[in-house]
Amino acid sequence: MKNILLLEDLPEIRVWLRKLVLQVFPDSQISESARVADALALVTAVKFDLALIDLGLPDGSGVDVVTKLRDVQPETQSVVVTIHDDDEHLFPALQAGAFGYILKEQARELITEQLQRISQGEPPLSPSIARRVMAYFSAMKKPHVNTTLINVSLTDRESEVLLRVAKGYTLPEIGVQLGLSRHTIADYVKQIYRKLNVSSRAEAALEAQRLGLFGR
Amino acid sequence: MLYPAPTQPRVPRTVGVGGLPWLLLLALALALVLGPMPAARAQQLLIDQALSVEADGARFPAAAAALRVALPDDWSRSRPGSQGPVWYRVSFSAAPGRGADEELLALQITHVCATLSVQLNGQLVHHGGRLGEPYSQDCSHPQLIVLPTALLRPGPNVVDLKVMGHALETVGSRHRAAGLSALMIGPLHELQASQRLQTTIKVTLPQALDATLLLMGGFMFVLGFVNRRESHLAYFGALSIGWALLDARLWLREWPLPQRTVELLLGVLLPLVAQAAVQFLLRYARWRHRAIDLALPLQVLLLPLSLMAAAPDQLYRLTLAWTALLSLQVLAAALFYLHRQWRERRDEFWLMGALLAVVAVSGLIEIAAQRLGTPPLSAQLAHLVMPLMLVLVGLRLVQQHGHALRQAEAGKAQLEQRVREATAEIERNFRALSDLKVEQVTARERKRIAADLHDDLGAKLLTIVHTSESDRISTLAREALEEMRLSVRGLTGRAVRLADALGDWRAEVVSRLAQAGIEADWSAPDDLTQTLSARAYVQTTRILREATSNIIKHSGASYCALRCQVADGDFQLIVQDNGEGISTEADARLDRGHGMATMKQRAKQMQGQCLVESGPGFGTVIRLTLPLDHALEGA
Repeated sequence: MKNILLLEDLPEIRVWLRKLVLQVFPDSQISESARVADALALVTAVKFDLALIDLGLPDGSGVDVVTKLRDVQPETQSVVVTIHDDDEHLFPALQAGAFGYILKEQARELITEQLQRISQGEPPLSPSIARRVMAYFSAMKKPHVNTTLINVSLTDRESEVLLRVAKGYTLPEIGVQLGLSRHTIADYVKQIYRKLNVSSRAEAALEAQRLGLFGR
Repeated sequence: MLYPAPTQPRVPRTVGVGGLPWLLLLALALALVLGPMPAARAQQLLIDQALSVEADGARFPAAAAALRVALPDDWSRSRPGSQGPVWYRVSFSAAPGRGADEELLALQITHVCATLSVQLNGQLVHHGGRLGEPYSQDCSHPQLIVLPTALLRPGPNVVDLKVMGHALETVGSRHRAAGLSALMIGPLHELQASQRLQTTIKVTLPQALDATLLLMGGFMFVLGFVNRRESHLAYFGALSIGWALLDARLWLREWPLPQRTVELLLGVLLPLVAQAAVQFLLRYARWRHRAIDLALPLQVLLLPLSLMAAAPDQLYRLTLAWTALLSLQVLAAALFYLHRQWRERRDEFWLMGALLAVVAVSGLIEIAAQRLGTPPLSAQLAHLVMPLMLVLVGLRLVQQHGHALRQAEAGKAQLEQRVREATAEIERNFRALSDLKVEQVTARERKRIAADLHDDLGAKLLTIVHTSESDRISTLAREALEEMRLSVRGLTGRAVRLADALGDWRAEVVSRLAQAGIEADWSAPDDLTQTLSARAYVQTTRILREATSNIIKHSGASYCALRCQVADGDFQLIVQDNGEGISTEADARLDRGHGMATMKQRAKQMQGQCLVESGPGFGTVIRLTLPLDHALEGA
């Protein structure tokens, strides 16, 4: 049995999502929430295996819930469910620790498949997100960034995968090109997500420390 | 030879060390102007002895005991404190056998102070100046008196002179003290030449220099007064005017005021001139001190007061003491000025140093003349040096002022240029800033609209997508949502790198085709550096999406080749499938069913074109061509 958090403000969509989730994970326990505040309260009280989180909510951003989940329940898989497909909205959520994203308007079958893949450890990665990740890590390498505290960097293989995704190749295509199995490619993508989160958190901590130093 | 009379001015204010060459130069210039100096002739008779009696009356008191005195007779030595009148008698012998055609004889007196009447053999031949107080101040003018032939006797002739004047103690300067110089009797035309020279040196030159000083001084004063930063010019102007007035006593014959008043007036002038000189030197050295600014005017008040308070017979001593004090002040100021110039290593040091040195020498000669009483010709010339130097310094100041003016003009022009540049810079910055502001506001507004669209329209469309019973409506709503998202993307207005756009397009098209079971063959050049405007990106995305949808829905193709290339500044996209193609009969329905018209229209909006080639059984080829430079422009 899975404990699943569903954060969505539109009632119809919430109902529809609930059905869909029950279809993928038939014996799961679903906690629904329409507001960020409620979700934050739930997160501290209940242990979840999976959380489907909308980004644009009436009382704030779902990114806060992702961050909180990462802090209090690092094992929980946070998946962003949104109508925003642009990296400007998605990237902060991924940095906060979201493990993939699903675009809400897609057909039921497509969403079902994606949800299954994510829960099995195969998150999606669009070219624009890949470009953002590459830009983020290349900025990390620059000398003015304190690399002694954030010593998270991508391996050559991970960079290679990112580059190919940015060029528009699908993950199976990349697997064929690099002579690797689909699972291995999925592992690279997972590593990229994890490193993005770790690096972002370290950076945030460093930033907080810097602000603290100056604030004194 | 002639004995120039001791008609010296007061001790000059400026003291220094001197240049004999300057004096020689001056003498040379005078000689050039006046012609050769008349040499003493044999016919000329120098009389340096006379009988003298201190008595009034219309005639020489023959009965009184006469003293034999040497000429020149300085009363301050022979009869201290006396004001006259004093009778002098000299006799000379006319050459025997003088005929009517012989030349006129004349008597020349180089210096007599001040009122004089002359009798030849008991007949009055000359009278000059007032007989009572105030006596004439006519001490500078040499006198030339014609001796009428009719009155001359063969053999001894007698000339009686009656002189009245002021005692040295009651005047401010020795040259205004009573006295009589040596006499010269000779042919009129010869004496006239020497008379001209003496008049020039003693009267005409000082007059000309005074007029110059007054004009220049007035000009400088106004210049300095108007322009407060050049206050030294104002002080120099005051100095010039003051000196010109002070010098006027050399050639002004009659003063319509009592002698004591005249002396007091000169006494007022003296510290004023000294103040002007000191302040000019200090200001010229770019230095001023409050104490000095206060002390000098105080001195101006103090000096005339002390003169008024003093006994009449103390005037000369007091004036002499004051003059010495003032001279020392000016000397100190001059040394200070030169010291500053030297320290600043300015060329001005040498020029001003030379001028001040000449002034100082003339001052020393002047002092010597005051002490000794009978100045040589050099003293007379030295006395012209001060106004001459003032004129030279004045010219130099005017030159400097003109130079400064020119520099100021140049500076002003430069400043104006810089102001213009700065203004242009500010305007440029302002424009850039307002552009930036507009950009920021636009970006913010776009973001707001985008958020509104997502939250409002997006939510509603999404609800339709997932709640509609009809598949068609769901699909339409989904497409509308995608369109909306694309429009929002176009709204944000950011240019997209062509390489990134190709990545996005490939990912979308290839995965869609793969899902539909169609084999995709995508080829595009690597490392394209061009960018697309947001609008071009969005429109191309729509065209490509439409074309892909057509292939998936209608073509029945199993294979699709997509070629991207950049050639001749155009971006080219060719989509070719191996499907059924579109029959010519279907052309009429083409526009509605497949959105070909919309694709063509979109291409046209971007100044590009979209060609569709198709035939039944031959598949379909769509050729999209966009001019890149146009696609680069902002949406």
